[in-house]
Amino acid sequence: MKILVLIPAYNESEKIVEVIRSVKAQSFEVLVVDDGSIDNTSDLAEQAGAKVLVHPINRGQGAAIKTGLTYFLDTGYDGLVFFDADGQMRPEEISQVIEPLLLGKYEVALGSRFLGQVRNIPWVKLVVLKLALLFTRLTTGLKLTDVHNGFQAWSREAIQKLNLTQDRQAYASQVLHEIADKKIKYIETPVTISYTSYSKKKGQSIFNAFNILFDLLIKK
Amino acid sequence: MLIIQFILITIIALIVLRLIFKLKSGELTSQQFALWLVIWLVAIVVIGYPKITSQLASRVGVTRGVDLVVYTSIILIFYILFRLLMRLNKIEDNITKIARQVALEDKDKDK
Repeated sequence: MKILVLIPAYNESEKIVEVIRSVKAQSFEVLVVDDGSIDNTSDLAEQAGAKVLVHPINRGQGAAIKTGLTYFLDTGYDGLVFFDADGQMRPEEISQVIEPLLLGKYEVALGSRFLGQVRNIPWVKLVVLKLALLFTRLTTGLKLTDVHNGFQAWSREAIQKLNLTQDRQAYASQVLHEIADKKIKYIETPVTISYTSYSKKKGQSIFNAFNILFDLLIKK
Repeated sequence: MLIIQFILITIIALIVLRLIFKLKSGELTSQQFALWLVIWLVAIVVIGYPKITSQLASRVGVTRGVDLVVYTSIILIFYILFRLLMRLNKIEDNITKIARQVALEDKDKDK
């Protein structure tokens, strides 16, 4: 099974090289979608040996992911792993995350920091995540242990079914809605998420939860 | 004439004047111009003869004329807001599509 690791990146020059190298060290190929960074993220990514696609202007993480999906469907890979550029995730765990796909029983594996480990999570973030979990359960019926976890593995068949229209963070909710609507066979798999001062600085503010709700309400 | 009537009608007169300039410069089609003109003329009539709204209001079962104006305005504003949001969504989608196309085409050139 040929696997591609998709890393959306926006102004990640500080960490991107390290993240790409560590993923490549696990012998996976890397696609970086630079979402209109104003620093040299795309040059660094290219030098580190990733394929790089560059949005001319910033369009949001959801838009960057979808650009990655479009590229993926045009190539010969069998599976796609979503991975973060900020060093919160562990590349050693990629092989565990794709395992359910390799066994052929599931089309999607969703990383769960609450099945696995979560380090140094700010308590406000924890509360917002738990609320989002409840919201997702009520709106999709999916009984998950984690939401908005960007560590996921998707089979080609599942990506062909996936229709993303949300440009910003709301895409992460939309992904789960799509899994529920299209009855995509999924499983949760434990992952480790380590919050560092860098990832906290780069990550979204908890107030973004309101923006996500708004986006979900006004747009399908 | 009350001072408030004078102020409001002056403002509307200026807006209508702007509309006429926009029509002449071709920024507005005659159809759009007509629509806005009707809206502002109705506003002038309502400001000049507020009793009209009271008569209308009592006919449709609303006590005060002012209330009727507020109700209809709010509905109109919500409708316009909805249209704007939909339009904005469409524009955002299109910009994203172009950004995606540029990203994917640049990659083709590299090969």
